[in-house]
Amino acid sequence: MTTTIEAAGAAAGSGPPAPPSASATRTRGALWRRLRKDKAAATGMAIITVMVLVAVFAPVLTALEGQNTTSLHPELVDSASGGTPLGSLGGVSGSHWLGVEPQTGRDLFARLVYGARISLGVALGATALQVLIGVSVGIAAGLGGRGVDAVLSRLTDLALAFPQVLFAVALMAIVPDSVPRPLILAVVIALLGWGGTARLARGQALSLRTRDFVAAAKLSGAPPLRVARREILPGLVTPVLTYASLLVPTNMVAEAGLSFLGVGVRPPTPSWGQMLSAGTTWFRPDVMYVVVPGGALFLTLLAFTLLADGVRRTLDPRNTEVAP
Amino acid sequence: MRRISVLSAALALVAAGAAACSSSAGHSSSGTPGSAAFDPKTCQGGTLEVLNQGSISKLDPARIYTSGGGNIPSLLFRTLTTRNRQPGQDGAKAAPDLATDLGTPSDNAQTWTYHLKDNVFFEDGTPITSADVKYGIERSFAPELPGGAPYLRDWLVDAANYQGPYKDPAGIAAIETPDAKTIIFHLRKPEGDFPLLATATQFAPVPKAKDTGVGYEKHPVSSGPYMVASFDKGKTLDLVRNPHWSSASDPLRYACPDKINVTAGLDAAVINQRIATGTGQDANAVSTDTTIGPDQLAQLNSNPALAKRVARGEFPATTYIAFNPKVKPFDDIRVREAISYAVNRTTAVNAAGGTAVAGASTTFLPPQKALGYQPYDFFPAGATGDPAKAKELLAQAGYPNGLTITLTHQADDANNFGPKLATSVQDALKAAGITVNLNPIDDNSYTDVTGKPSTEPGASLQYWGADWPSGAPFLIPIFDGRQIVTSGGNFNLAQLNDPSVNAEIDAINAITDPAQAQARWGALDAKLGQQALTVPLFYEKDVYLFGKNVKDAVPDGWRGQYDLARVSVK
Repeated sequence: MTTTIEAAGAAAGSGPPAPPSASATRTRGALWRRLRKDKAAATGMAIITVMVLVAVFAPVLTALEGQNTTSLHPELVDSASGGTPLGSLGGVSGSHWLGVEPQTGRDLFARLVYGARISLGVALGATALQVLIGVSVGIAAGLGGRGVDAVLSRLTDLALAFPQVLFAVALMAIVPDSVPRPLILAVVIALLGWGGTARLARGQALSLRTRDFVAAAKLSGAPPLRVARREILPGLVTPVLTYASLLVPTNMVAEAGLSFLGVGVRPPTPSWGQMLSAGTTWFRPDVMYVVVPGGALFLTLLAFTLLADGVRRTLDPRNTEVAP
Repeated sequence: MRRISVLSAALALVAAGAAACSSSAGHSSSGTPGSAAFDPKTCQGGTLEVLNQGSISKLDPARIYTSGGGNIPSLLFRTLTTRNRQPGQDGAKAAPDLATDLGTPSDNAQTWTYHLKDNVFFEDGTPITSADVKYGIERSFAPELPGGAPYLRDWLVDAANYQGPYKDPAGIAAIETPDAKTIIFHLRKPEGDFPLLATATQFAPVPKAKDTGVGYEKHPVSSGPYMVASFDKGKTLDLVRNPHWSSASDPLRYACPDKINVTAGLDAAVINQRIATGTGQDANAVSTDTTIGPDQLAQLNSNPALAKRVARGEFPATTYIAFNPKVKPFDDIRVREAISYAVNRTTAVNAAGGTAVAGASTTFLPPQKALGYQPYDFFPAGATGDPAKAKELLAQAGYPNGLTITLTHQADDANNFGPKLATSVQDALKAAGITVNLNPIDDNSYTDVTGKPSTEPGASLQYWGADWPSGAPFLIPIFDGRQIVTSGGNFNLAQLNDPSVNAEIDAINAITDPAQAQARWGALDAKLGQQALTVPLFYEKDVYLFGKNVKDAVPDGWRGQYDLARVSVK
C-alpha cells in the first residue's frame, strides 16, 4: 500500500506546479473531451461505469436473475465431496448465471453484484475521506508558519510510516459490531492512507504561495482561509485528481485485503475480498469460485488504473499530443 | 469437564488433534489397505513424519489435556490404563497399560485398586513404581502446571484444594501406595468410569528425582516406546526408541518406526497436499490434527490410489445450538421447539464440509454405542426443516408474525461453528418467520462469554466432544445442575438444575458395568432431549489422509484416528 502511494505521489508531484486558477478551470472543462480521445482511459471509464451501474442496480439485477445473496441451495452442491457445486463451471446455469458458492450453494452472481457495492463503496468513500484529510492537512502545512508545518509534516510522515495493514487489522478487531462495517472500513482505510495526499498538497501549496497572484490576494487583505480556498485549492485540483484516481484501486485492494483477513464486512454480507479468501481452499475443485471475484476485482482495478493514467497524461502540461 | 475439541486439543498439545471415535465397523475398516498382511512383529524400521497444524506448546504429562492419552503423548507416556487401540466398538474400551488390569473397584466404586506390571522401566532403566504414578498425579494439581483435565480434583477425597507437591510435599492422602506395585484411589463419590479416566497422561509415572517443575517438559522422562531426542517448543519434536521399553509388557503399542519426527505449525491445505502428493519423506507422512480438505475430498472419486490412503473414523462429538432459558424468548419451550423444527440439517452438514466429515444428528449423544446412544427425534425437522410446524408453534407461543432472535457464534470457521454454520441456521429459520441476527465472537474469548451465566447469550452455537467414550463426560458437564459454574467456565448452558436429573447421574456413575450404564445414559439423553434445551445439528466424522508408505493406518475406536503407536512405514 505504502509503496503505491509513494510512487503515485512522486509521479503526480513530479510535474511543474499547476497553472493558477483561471487556467485550472479551463483544464477541467477540457478534461472530459481529452479523456474520451484517450483510448485506454475511455476503456477504463467504460468499465468503471458498468461496475458502478452494477453496484447501484444490484437489487434489480439479482431480481432479474431471480436469486438473492443469502438463500442456501443444498441441492446444488455435492455434499459427499465436501460441497463442490454440481454441474460444469461451478454450477453455471440459466438460473445461476455465474454458478453457486461451494458448500452453501448461494448464488455467485448475486453475491458478486452485491459485493461490488462494498468494494466500490468502501474504496470511493475512503478515497474521498483521504483527499479531504490530506488536502486540508497539506494546505495547512504549506501555508502555516514554520511550527505548524513542522508538526503537520511529522504527523504526515507518521501516517506514511505506519504499518498500515497491521494497524487496520488491530483496529477492525476492536471496533464494536454495532458500527456498520463498510463505514468503519472506509474510515480505517482513509485514516491510514491520507499521508501521500497531504504531502502532495503541501508541496503544491508551498510552491503556489510564492506566486504573484497569491501575494496580491494577501496584500489586498484576504484572510488565510480565503487565500487557501480561492487561490491555492484550484491549483491543487490537477495533481490531487490524478493522485486520487490512483488511490481508488489502492483502497480497493486494502478493503479486499482486510476482508480476506477476516476483519472486513461480516457474513452473510458479501464482499469480493471475502469471496477470494473463501476461495483459496477451493481453487482446484471449483476454480470458478476464485475466478469470478478475482476477475471482477482485476477488471475494476485495471479500469481505475487505466483511467488514472489517462487523467495524468491528459493533465500533464508537457504532453503536447493530447493538448488542444 | 472441559470439552476436548478439535481446536483445544490441537492448540493444547502435540497430542490430541482432531480425534475421533469410530462407531460402525464398516467405516473404520475402510481405510486399511494391506492390513491383512500387516504383522506387528516385522513392521519395525523407517522414519515416520507427522505434519501438524497445532503448535507443540506443551509436553509435560501434567499439562496435556487428552482423550485417551492422546496420539503423540501416548508414544512417550504409559498410563495405568490406556485406550484399547482397536477399530470400532472394541476400541472404545480401556485396556491395562502399566497396570495388570482395569482396576478393582470396591466400596460401591468409590475405591479403585491397581497393581503395576513387572519389568516396566523409565528410559534410564529405573523401574517404575507406584510412587512415581502417585507423584505424576500430584504434580498435575500444581498451579505451576495448569492445563490438565479437572476430573481428579473433583473426584478424589479432599483433593479439591491440593496445591501440588512443590508447595505441599505431603501429597494427596486419598492416593495410597502401600507397596511399590500397588496404588489405591479413594474417591468421594462412586465413579464407574475411573478406568477410562486413568488413560489420561496425568496417570503417567514421573520420577521425582528428575522433576524440574515447569522445565520438565524440555525432556519428560519416557515410559513408552519412544523418548525425546530433541524438542523445539512450538516447532518440532523428534522421537527415537526408548531402549528400556519392551513390547512384552506393552502388547498394544507396536512401535514400528525407528524414529518419529513431528513438524508443527503448518497450514492445513499444505499438510493435505504434501501427504496426498507424497514426494520424498512425505511418503511416510501422517497428520494427527488435520482432516481432509475439500481439494482432496473432491479427488477421491476420480483418484482410486488416493482413496485407498484415507482413514475414516468418528470421534464422539456433537455440534449444536445451546439455549439459555433464562433469556427471553427461550424461556418458552414452544419457541425452542419451533427452532428445533425449523433447522435445516442438510445445509448445516454442508457448512461443516459435507457428508464425508459430518452427519446430521437429532440426538445430543453422538451415534456411538459406547456413549449410550439411543436414537430419538422429538421434533422431526426432516432433512431440510419443517417451517410450517415451526410457525404453528410460534403462533401458539404468541408470535404469530414471527420474531427476531440473536445467534452467537464463533467469528471463525476453524471449529465448524462459525459464520458458515450460523448463516445456515439463519437461512433455515427465515423460512419459519424467525429473523436471526448474527453475533460473532472471537474464538479465543468465545467460552469466556458463553461460559459465564451473567454474560451467556440466549442462543449460541456450541461443540462438545467426549473426554472418553462414555455418556458421563458427555452429559454431566452439560446437564448436571451441580456443574453450573457462575464465575466462568460453565458448560451447563441451559443452567438446568433438575434434582431428578442429578440423582439419575449419581445413580449411573455408581454402575461399573459399561453395558448397563450405556442404557441408562441413553435413556437420560432422550429424557433431556424432550425439553429442547439444545438443538443437535450434526456429529463429527473424521477423514485423515496418510502417506503412500504408511501401513496399518487404522482409526481406533476411541479417537477415530490412526494410532501412531501402531502405524508402520517399513
